[in-house]
Amino acid sequence: MTPPLASVRILDLTAGVSGPWCTKLLADYGAHVIQAERPGVGDESRGHGPFPGGIPDRERSALFLWLNTSKRSITLDIATATGRELALRLAAQCDTVVVDRSASELERLRLTHEDFAAVNPRIVTTSVTAFGLSGPYADWRATNLTSYATGGQHYLTGDGDREPIQNGGYQALYQAGTWAFGATLAAVWNARETGVGQRAEVAGQEVMAAILEIYMPDFAYRKAETLLTRRGNMATAVVGIYPVIDGHIGIHAMPKNWPQLLDALDMHWMAEDERFQDNRARLRNNDELMAQLYTWTAGVTKAEAYERGGQYRAPISPVNTMADLLASPHLDARGFFREVEHPATGTMRYPGSPARLPATEPAVRPAPLLGQHNAEVYGEMLGISARELAALSAVGVI
Amino acid sequence: MSDGDMRPATARLPLEGVRVLDLTMVWAGPSGTRLLADMGAEVIKVESARSWDMLRSLHFLSGPPEQWWDKAAYFNHNNRNKYGITLDLQTARGRELALRLVAMSDVVFENYRADVIGKLGLDYADLRAVKDDIILVSMPSHGKSGPESGNVAYGTNVEQLAGLASLTGYPGMGPHKSPIAYGDPNAGAIAAAAALAALLHRRETGQGQHVEVAQWEAMIGNVGEFVLAWQMALRDDTAADIDAWSESQRRGNRHFSRVQGVYPCTGEDEWVAVSVGTDAEFAALCGVMGRADVVRDARFADVVSRRHHQDALDEIVTAWTRGRAQDEAAGVLQAAGVSAAPVLKLQRLLYDRNLRARGFWETVSHAAAGEWDVEGPVWRMSRTPAHVRIPAPMFGEHNGWVLGELLGLSEGEIAALEADGVTAREPQAGVHS
Repeated sequence: MTPPLASVRILDLTAGVSGPWCTKLLADYGAHVIQAERPGVGDESRGHGPFPGGIPDRERSALFLWLNTSKRSITLDIATATGRELALRLAAQCDTVVVDRSASELERLRLTHEDFAAVNPRIVTTSVTAFGLSGPYADWRATNLTSYATGGQHYLTGDGDREPIQNGGYQALYQAGTWAFGATLAAVWNARETGVGQRAEVAGQEVMAAILEIYMPDFAYRKAETLLTRRGNMATAVVGIYPVIDGHIGIHAMPKNWPQLLDALDMHWMAEDERFQDNRARLRNNDELMAQLYTWTAGVTKAEAYERGGQYRAPISPVNTMADLLASPHLDARGFFREVEHPATGTMRYPGSPARLPATEPAVRPAPLLGQHNAEVYGEMLGISARELAALSAVGVI
Repeated sequence: MSDGDMRPATARLPLEGVRVLDLTMVWAGPSGTRLLADMGAEVIKVESARSWDMLRSLHFLSGPPEQWWDKAAYFNHNNRNKYGITLDLQTARGRELALRLVAMSDVVFENYRADVIGKLGLDYADLRAVKDDIILVSMPSHGKSGPESGNVAYGTNVEQLAGLASLTGYPGMGPHKSPIAYGDPNAGAIAAAAALAALLHRRETGQGQHVEVAQWEAMIGNVGEFVLAWQMALRDDTAADIDAWSESQRRGNRHFSRVQGVYPCTGEDEWVAVSVGTDAEFAALCGVMGRADVVRDARFADVVSRRHHQDALDEIVTAWTRGRAQDEAAGVLQAAGVSAAPVLKLQRLLYDRNLRARGFWETVSHAAAGEWDVEGPVWRMSRTPAHVRIPAPMFGEHNGWVLGELLGLSEGEIAALEADGVTAREPQAGVHS
């Protein structure tokens, strides 16, 4: 079976989270991804960890191992004249080059879309940055925290009487990568149709500003600030996180789920109570409803609450831990996790792909060692001999 | 092409010529088909009098206005650039017409609960019978197989199932939810990309397929490094406690290898986010604050000790930010090479100078709802720039075009469909209350 993106070849000049997540998705669906890393140190995420035993080792960073499966690694210093030329020669044979630097940096390196298009008119240059290639923030330094801050979601996350918090991990960076993955495919589709490439640009701030649920649309339309506050763990009594005996559960009931929720809670008397008669009444009596739910949740476990939710088709979920995920009978039955063996970290269970394309599910390969594929890539694609590679390595180009 | 469209006449939008039949509702599915619609795909959204998009009814606090179904901002944001028809798929005639549209489409999207599409007689096999290379994208929360496939989950459930909520929270406190139904746009963006991957595959092989986006699974990758990190922690200590480990991951704004946080500024509930990693960044921060003494302070000598003494450092940074506006603080810090940014309220996001300079907000004019600003297409293409071409469809707005022009029904047949309740001009009230 041919993986869906088997015909797509990618040169990846990114590091960190956003760009590598974008190219990991491409690679896991079968695209041939060549990841160019800085000679000596490699992708910055190799230094981030977490590491086994807490001991830094650039081949054993959980973040790097996760974000770089199925890719081939070469070392390449694109800031050198020879390195730049090698990048362009590789780009000439690729469908897409992915970059994550600012416009001014790319101009200084002479690695803009125009430079790539000069050697390959069909090429798609995917740019994924925090703030975009233009605009007053274009040269700002960014981390997940600052991306999250400028996207609007940060202000709304957390308790009203405390400071706003970001959500777990690197969500702003992941989202930018996910959207860059789609933008890349749209541009590749278009290049295949027309024979002409272009630059596909994704700015993390714009991604985050576009996923503000009802909050941004409502404010943009009515200019009312009613909804624009931090509301902690309870959007309403029936959209929130509750403590249970052994952890936490979440409830997210839409108005149409009310009867099923009462089934699951075994609280049918509420259907007769005028305080909870319809959605507006329930919102008016939100605190009383919440008190009822707290009483119920205090007497159940995560598994019991989830089972009742499933039995009555009520939207109740456990707040799963990583251990819960790895032990989930449902994910197990679906074969979600995949065992991946890596030379430095052995075999671990990796999450599967976010979408299943069953006609074409490719095998996932472990993240590469730094420069693991130098001989293969430079040799096969550019015809560079082992002796020439040694010379390039000696001067720090690769 | 609208009057304000600056595209050169030769630059077709990337997905022009791709037709998508969109059976999705609420947020996850529509956010995915919106990405394709923005890129020029012809997306036809299907609703009916008894099964219509719940977002049409969300009029918080203001109460429903006249013709409320066409005036909900949330619906109108998520469905711009799409066409809208009504067709009751639970009727034989509605199903038959839907299948005729399938035969003319490239991709079908649905986000029903796992068992519903089969009950409608619109499963993948049914679609293939009329269009052999059709691509069907299904987006059930738990997937179409497995012991929990009958469960129901919405966006905040998805981040709970996927483990993200267990990693989010204030230090020392319990799990915390995202303010939005985060599982929805995440699954939507994945589904749109997966549809494109399937289209590229069809282009190479001539084969369609049934793409499955289980929303729960679609989010686990976003915390994939934690899945590996927990396995590493278990190897280091087979008796490691998952609850204690999860709590140690809930760091609020903090980070395990950087010193960062949000700091109060002038203005009600206004904050600046600051993130410092290297010694050089730390020296730059101290330079901006005019605190050379802090650079030399042994407690802050390197990354590890700065993290260890972050409470003390936070007080010093707060003393500096407290008298400054968030934009000013961020601007001065950025100029010195420190990663900093205002924590933007949504009231400010709409007017943010970066987004305005980039033309992110576009004014849309809607026949029933009026004029307001919406976010423009986020996938920005240099040769084929996209814009909001048409506002979200009013209920059944394109019945005439789709049924008449595309399917070739006569005026009499179209009138009969309405008389028989297969199509409708207004949604039934009470379906979502």
